[in-house]
Amino acid sequence: MEFPIAGVTVNPLLLAGIGFLVGILGGFFGVGGGFIATPFMVWAGVPWNIAIGTDLAHMTGKSIVAAKRHRSLGHVDMKLGLVLVVGTVVGVEAGAQIIEKLEVAGKVDVVIGIFYVLILLIISGFTAWESLRALRMVRTDQISVDDALGFEGLAHKVYGIKLPPMLSFPDSGIASVSLWTVLFVGFITGILSGALGVGGGFIRMPLLVYVIGVPTHVAVGTDLFSVIFSSGYGTLTHAMKGNVDILMALVMQTGAALGAQIGATSTRFFAGPRIRLLFSVLPLIGAVMVILEMFGLAAH
Amino acid sequence: MPKKTELRRLIRNFAVELAIYSVLLVVYFFAVLRFLGGFLTRLAHTHTLLYAVVGLALIVAQAVTLEALTSALMHWLHLER
Repeated sequence: MEFPIAGVTVNPLLLAGIGFLVGILGGFFGVGGGFIATPFMVWAGVPWNIAIGTDLAHMTGKSIVAAKRHRSLGHVDMKLGLVLVVGTVVGVEAGAQIIEKLEVAGKVDVVIGIFYVLILLIISGFTAWESLRALRMVRTDQISVDDALGFEGLAHKVYGIKLPPMLSFPDSGIASVSLWTVLFVGFITGILSGALGVGGGFIRMPLLVYVIGVPTHVAVGTDLFSVIFSSGYGTLTHAMKGNVDILMALVMQTGAALGAQIGATSTRFFAGPRIRLLFSVLPLIGAVMVILEMFGLAAH
Repeated sequence: MPKKTELRRLIRNFAVELAIYSVLLVVYFFAVLRFLGGFLTRLAHTHTLLYAVVGLALIVAQAVTLEALTSALMHWLHLER
């Protein structure tokens, strides 16, 4: 099928299939899935700039579908999501500034690539270690698998920061936490997002669980709620630069909406530690993609 | 975690919901392609800001309205989600 806006011919079933795959991952793990969808689209014959912009467009729709489903299951903390968005937006701008400064110094691609791979490996390793520890605690200490968390120290320390204004997030079961802590988590995600050019879902989700102490299911749903705003903004800016083929995005969204429904609904049948254990594989896939890119082996 | 009989019912209802949703998604795409395809292509090359807004609106409309329509149909069919 010819997509006249992008001026390319691509198999629509392939695009819908890519959308379906990242839709399932997005709905289940609360990530945008751009690190998987974009290289696949390029491999399917879509130019790199169109792949990035169009991926953001379908990500917006997919995140709405998945967040709505998670909300019906009681897994979205909208108040927390909105505060996170504010911190993320400021962070994205700061991240972009850091990149500009590094570009002046040169070798920016290598530095960012190595930094990115390190972060992904740390997230993956830590999440896998913690979730396995939580599952062991369930067996030995006879605690509920839904409440099990193998690493609670950081969240408890964060609750001890009494910098006003203090906010409560009843949907996440948080009685009192400093606004600045939540903004800081959004800011850190935004910096990495702006500097690394990714949506940041697989950074924000673990931060919500380990730093703010949000239950895993709510972290997934709230992360998707935040992705709606970040990818929606990205869609607008990329569309104005001619990087979005909306017909292509709608084809992808056809598959992604179905996948997102399946992914989001599936979380009902998995306890928090099992979701986190499966999640730990995602950053590894992201790391492999970046390494391939660094060595010039990725699709271009 | 739902019980086995409830799980079976949930999976059946979910399969029906996905079937309805798939049909609506495909109809929506072909409707946009048929009635707005030419307009969107012209817009993309002439008014980028308007194209960006219309494009985002189409994506959001698809996500919001089709899901609401599916919910209404499920309710009409007396199938719990």
